Amino acid sequence: MRALCWAGVNELAVQDVPDPAILNRQDVIVRVTASSTCGSDLHLLDGYVPTMMAGDVIGHEFLGEVVEVGPDVRDRRVGEKVVVCSIIGCGRCRNCRAEMWSLCDNSNPDPGFLETLNGHATAGIFGYSHAMGGFAGSHAEYIRVPYGDVNAFPVPEGVADANAVFASDAVPTGWMGADIAGIEPGDVVAVWGCGGVGQMAVRAAYLMGAERVIAIDRFPERLKMAADHVGAEPLDYEKVDVLDALKETTGGRGPDVCIEAVGMEGHGTGAQYAYDRVKQAVRLQTDRGLPLRQAIHACRKGGTVSVLGVYLGFVDKFPMGAVMNKGLTLRSGQQHGQRYIAMILDRMARGEIDASHLLTHPMSLDDGPRGYEMFKNKEDGCVRAVFTP
Amino acid sequence: MVAKRSIALAALAAGGVAALRRARGRAALRPGPAEWFAVTVACDPAELTGVNRPDALAELAEHHEVRISPAPGGRGTELAVHSADGTVREQVRALKQLLETGEVLRMEGQPEGHRTVLGRATLPVARQLMRRGVR
Repeated sequence: MRALCWAGVNELAVQDVPDPAILNRQDVIVRVTASSTCGSDLHLLDGYVPTMMAGDVIGHEFLGEVVEVGPDVRDRRVGEKVVVCSIIGCGRCRNCRAEMWSLCDNSNPDPGFLETLNGHATAGIFGYSHAMGGFAGSHAEYIRVPYGDVNAFPVPEGVADANAVFASDAVPTGWMGADIAGIEPGDVVAVWGCGGVGQMAVRAAYLMGAERVIAIDRFPERLKMAADHVGAEPLDYEKVDVLDALKETTGGRGPDVCIEAVGMEGHGTGAQYAYDRVKQAVRLQTDRGLPLRQAIHACRKGGTVSVLGVYLGFVDKFPMGAVMNKGLTLRSGQQHGQRYIAMILDRMARGEIDASHLLTHPMSLDDGPRGYEMFKNKEDGCVRAVFTP
Repeated sequence: MVAKRSIALAALAAGGVAALRRARGRAALRPGPAEWFAVTVACDPAELTGVNRPDALAELAEHHEVRISPAPGGRGTELAVHSADGTVREQVRALKQLLETGEVLRMEGQPEGHRTVLGRATLPVARQLMRRGVR
């Protein structure tokens, strides 16, 4: 079959690879019908995740049709249209049973790297390096899905593919950012990053009762999209001082909840941003932290900072003094998608959540390298390129 | 000239040995790795003791000291193995997977694109290292 493979830093290639097979009794094989680029893939491309190897199939946000099931699969059926959670859970360990699926004990068979780096290993992720299990990704014609019963969700009638595909990652990740922040009716929420995850965090925050949601970015088309499609109040950090603007617009309090949906390659302005770029480039820090620092500084006293952006290791100049002295609550995690996906698909079917506007560039899998180039450089207003194998 | 060079080399060598001794001395002060490798399994302690214990656990217990105790708050069973080297750590992780999910995840045989010669050579070693973990 054809698949999009990582071939080196900033190098992708469509290659012929063997078809996947049922390797475990609870596996299902899915014929991929849509597979999206994701901002977190850019960290792989840019060489910041050290356990990638040339030949790895990437991609983790996808939709497809079940074409084969293992002998111990009980609920999934051949022919079902399913959306698959990008993060793999086993469904049986203590963390999965507690609905903290991205902390699964069993779905990352190669936990050593993360144990050394972080103290413990977290769940396996499709197409996201050998540190995350080394699972082949979804930018391919077919994909093996372990523990198929708990990781693949039937798509209800009437939900368009362009909407459902984002129930795999962008929507549940955004939802989780708002959920773990404990948003209450009347809250003012600020979201850093107007990519797919940030926009879906805005939508979730409103659905949870937020009074106002301010979205921060530098790309006019993304700010406009966040305003037009999910009702955000746009804030361009290249035009105004974010900290001043947030204080002013919240009567000096600061946002009740700050959601960071940017991650380790965040952009910014001024000397702090230049400092971060240099330190990351010479590997004196693995992750750039400007938006995260801003979120912590901006957050009201006693507020909550919810971190959705992907970080690998270490952020320099982390403002622990602000966290401690302002009594902030810091929440984070890779998405516990299995907790939310069925609910999100139901809301999509009822018209309460529509993520289809994120799909700005439908492309064939053969155009994968070009799609990532456009996505990375935000060419032609690209928010998400989605590949059809 | 030769004598001067010899003295310089001897001084370097002496300095190197002293540095090595200091480094060893410091290393000796560092605590060593724990002697037990432990996991918590989401099961009742009774499943890991007595005649019904899994064969893989019985085999581990033949060669290693094994400690089984209930986790606090009824949160499963703590399983610890003494003197666990890389192979044993891999076996213990596999045992936890088997007990909790009914099978051990297989990764070999997945689709993959063109590996470099170096990649082909190092992947099995890297995977084994990551599977076992460094201690």
